[in-house]
Amino acid sequence: MRKVYIGELEEVVLLIVVMLQEEAYGVAITKEIDQQLDRKMSVSAVHATLHRLAEKGFVTSHLGGATAQRGGRRKRYFKVTPSGSQVLTKIQEARNLLWSQLPPNALTI
Amino acid sequence: MNVRPHPPEWISKLLRVVCKDDLFEEIEGDLLEFYDEWVTTLGRKKANQLYAWHALKFLRPFAIRRFSSKLDNQIMIRNYLKVAWRSLKKNKMFSTIKVGGFAIGIAAFTLISFFILDELNYDKHYENGNRIYRIANDYKGEEKWTSFPGPAAEIIRSNYPGIEKVGRLIPQSGWFQSGDNQLRTSSSPTNFYEEGFAYADPELLAILEIPMVYGNQEEALSVPRSIVISERKAQKYFPNQDPVGQTIILNDNLEEPYVVGGVMKNFPSQSHIDFDYLISLYQHEFWPGEQTNWCCWNYNIYVRLKSTTNPEELEEQLLTIRDYVAQYQERNNPSQAEDTKKYHTFILQPVADIYLKSDDIHDSGKHGNLQIVWLFVAIATLVLLLACVNFINLSTAKSANRSKEVGVRKVLGSRRKNLIQQFLTESFLICFVSVSIGISLAALFLPSFNEVAQKSLSIPFLSWWFIPGVLGFILLITFFSGLYPSFYLSAFRPVDVLKSSLSQGSKNSRLRSVMVVFQFSASIVLMVSALLVYRQLDFILNKDVGFDREQVVVIQGVSTMGEKSDIFKNELKSLSNVRSASLSNFIPISGTKRDGNGFWLEGRQDLDKQVGTQRWTVDGDYIETMGMNLLEGRNFGDMAQDSSSIIINQALASKLNLQEPIGARIENYLGTWTVIGLIQDFHFESMKMEIEPLALCPTTNGAAMIVKLQSEDLKESLTDISAKWDNLMPNQPIRYTFLDDSFEIMYENVTRAAIVFAAFAVLALIVACLGLFGLSAFMVEQRRKEISIRKVFGASLQNIFNLLTFNFLKMIVLSLVIAIPFSLVIMSRWLEDFEYAVGISWDVYLIAGITITVISLVTVSFESLRAGLINPTRGLKEE
Repeated sequence: MRKVYIGELEEVVLLIVVMLQEEAYGVAITKEIDQQLDRKMSVSAVHATLHRLAEKGFVTSHLGGATAQRGGRRKRYFKVTPSGSQVLTKIQEARNLLWSQLPPNALTI
Repeated sequence: MNVRPHPPEWISKLLRVVCKDDLFEEIEGDLLEFYDEWVTTLGRKKANQLYAWHALKFLRPFAIRRFSSKLDNQIMIRNYLKVAWRSLKKNKMFSTIKVGGFAIGIAAFTLISFFILDELNYDKHYENGNRIYRIANDYKGEEKWTSFPGPAAEIIRSNYPGIEKVGRLIPQSGWFQSGDNQLRTSSSPTNFYEEGFAYADPELLAILEIPMVYGNQEEALSVPRSIVISERKAQKYFPNQDPVGQTIILNDNLEEPYVVGGVMKNFPSQSHIDFDYLISLYQHEFWPGEQTNWCCWNYNIYVRLKSTTNPEELEEQLLTIRDYVAQYQERNNPSQAEDTKKYHTFILQPVADIYLKSDDIHDSGKHGNLQIVWLFVAIATLVLLLACVNFINLSTAKSANRSKEVGVRKVLGSRRKNLIQQFLTESFLICFVSVSIGISLAALFLPSFNEVAQKSLSIPFLSWWFIPGVLGFILLITFFSGLYPSFYLSAFRPVDVLKSSLSQGSKNSRLRSVMVVFQFSASIVLMVSALLVYRQLDFILNKDVGFDREQVVVIQGVSTMGEKSDIFKNELKSLSNVRSASLSNFIPISGTKRDGNGFWLEGRQDLDKQVGTQRWTVDGDYIETMGMNLLEGRNFGDMAQDSSSIIINQALASKLNLQEPIGARIENYLGTWTVIGLIQDFHFESMKMEIEPLALCPTTNGAAMIVKLQSEDLKESLTDISAKWDNLMPNQPIRYTFLDDSFEIMYENVTRAAIVFAAFAVLALIVACLGLFGLSAFMVEQRRKEISIRKVFGASLQNIFNLLTFNFLKMIVLSLVIAIPFSLVIMSRWLEDFEYAVGISWDVYLIAGITITVISLVTVSFESLRAGLINPTRGLKEE
């Protein structure tokens, strides 16, 4: 099987999906990225990223119920899949492995 | 409760169309959520903008609806192509007519388009083309011309800061060395005849951006008596070397040699001027005081403006030039000076307009004809339209054969959209094949077309735009010709066609009739035009022009003989096959040397307006040699006695109001003359112009020897003449033309128009007949049972024939009625150009009508007769 690659933006979005738990849908994710990371993303870019994540099998989604908000349009909620979780964990482990080998005070900021 | 603000409706609608169905809801929901926020924080207007912007950003591949899946499409298109190919193969005759007619139309269209493109692209190659202008005179808006007195250029150069460069050009041949000359290099004794000489200022090279091979633009003409020659001539006289500094001798005049100052690239074919030799005007005076005299208008002036200059304002400023003109006229014709101050204005003509838009401006250059270009555009469109109409006609006529297929496809689940797609694919296939054949045909006929149109066109197969351009063209005509048939065919209702209750294809026979009438009207218009152009041509070539051009040889370049020309003339006269010979500078062919003068009655110079007159210097044998008709008085006799005698034509006599011309005394700038003879008017310009006043004055020298032969053996006569020439002029080859050839060349344009009209009339007729043939075949097929039943009941072949052809005859008569007014308008406008023209008579229409009727009857009768002769049982046995 082809090794599935995950980009930096995808990683961020995926992490936020995990973080938001039951409330992970387009607007919430966009706002979270803005507030937490001070990173302006257009909602269309977030949708595109989510679409890519879904294609790679890292997230699943379902439509929520209709409410009076947002013109009665339903929200699509995203949820991380086991393989998504696995990818995130692997990345974190790889990073930890490398970070632990950095000599003390090696980073000059 | 407040109504919540919502974004513009159209954006949501657009989103709904564009987005995938399953994604639309969440996308719009998210956008709306943001929208609510924006409205509260940023206001409604800004929110709307942001909403639109973000909605637009959803046009990403993942969100856009797939209009149909790729795989399905490929399979279906393959199927469409297969079925298209099968139906083409099934009806070979029909397919051939369809494709053939289309291909012919496209070939014609391709040729004409290339011609038009070429004409429109003259003088577009200058880097600073939008700043290069030619100055022209405008007198009352009635008369426009381009020549100026010599000193005008200097005035312009020093008085107008908006002008960057000024340069003069003398393009008209016959002015001293401009035009043609005998040329040799200093190292060779042999003279060669060369054409394409002109005089130019040093600055002209830079203004017209003439690229140099040797030497440079600034210095090539900056020495008196320097000359710039073209690359091809440099190759001829100084092969493979830099000729700068070499000497050229013109007309054996050793005292005034010319030094080559540079070699210029040959002028591009799409340039309004084309010279091989430019002689410097730097510090050049044609006679003492010429450069400061405002008498003589011989210089064309080109300017390059500064980029900040407004040409319209400059035209206003140029008006000061007319003060200089008036100042000169003040001295000898004060009333003329008044008029000049009032009516004389100046035009800045952009260089790119010179070739096509100089219709009313007199100059000596070669020009295209904007009218002809438009005419060609019309013909090209017409031919293409005819071909498309043919296609539409045949496609819908043949629809019966496809109706079952349409029914079955619909029953099996094809939607109308798919069927339209199918028939468009089919049209595309046919268009593709037709265009390929058409372009090949065009390439095949290009050489002959070039000959007729006097062009050097080529099909740019290798240009980057060629393949995309052709594909675009194919798509365009696919839609144009395929749209209607595809809508028509796809509209069949499966129940009708499968039950076979649809009256097959005859439903819209009215539309087809309209199209056939259109085709035939167009053919008739073209045919009538061709006939009339031919008549005019015939009229011109056979009209009594007032002189006899048969068996007349004009030997050019006699001026280099000097004293010996008299000996030559006498020797020629002694030849048995020469009837007479005459020495003159002037021949009655448009574009040759002219000498325009003002004439007055004696003593009226200050009182009357001048009568513009051609003053031709000829010897005593001119009238006899040219076969002109002396109406009254006598010819020149002894040259010494007749030095102030003059012979005038009828036009001059009537302009001067001379009732008794013989003995009258008239004057011009040279002095006073006594009229000794009245000569019948003869055409010395093209028949587009009225015969103008003309006077013959005696001379004993000239540049041309005109020889009238009286022998049947042309070859022998010419050998004799050449022998005499070679004796006297061993270093200069003889050069002669036949007067009747030159005369015919004058009307080349008319001849060309006749050929083009005739060719396209024939093409249009072929296309129309192909269509008619297809239609009649279809008609016969439709009525096969009817015909068989009629035959069983005893109808004769005649009856059947009449039945089938009557309809078509009606259409042809209708076409005639429609075509007559159209062609009348077009052709009377064309004939207006000629002062001397044939009238449009009714027999032209009779000829065209009969021809069209006969041709179409033959076309139709082929199928009709076959239907009438067939055994009725064959039509009836199948059910």
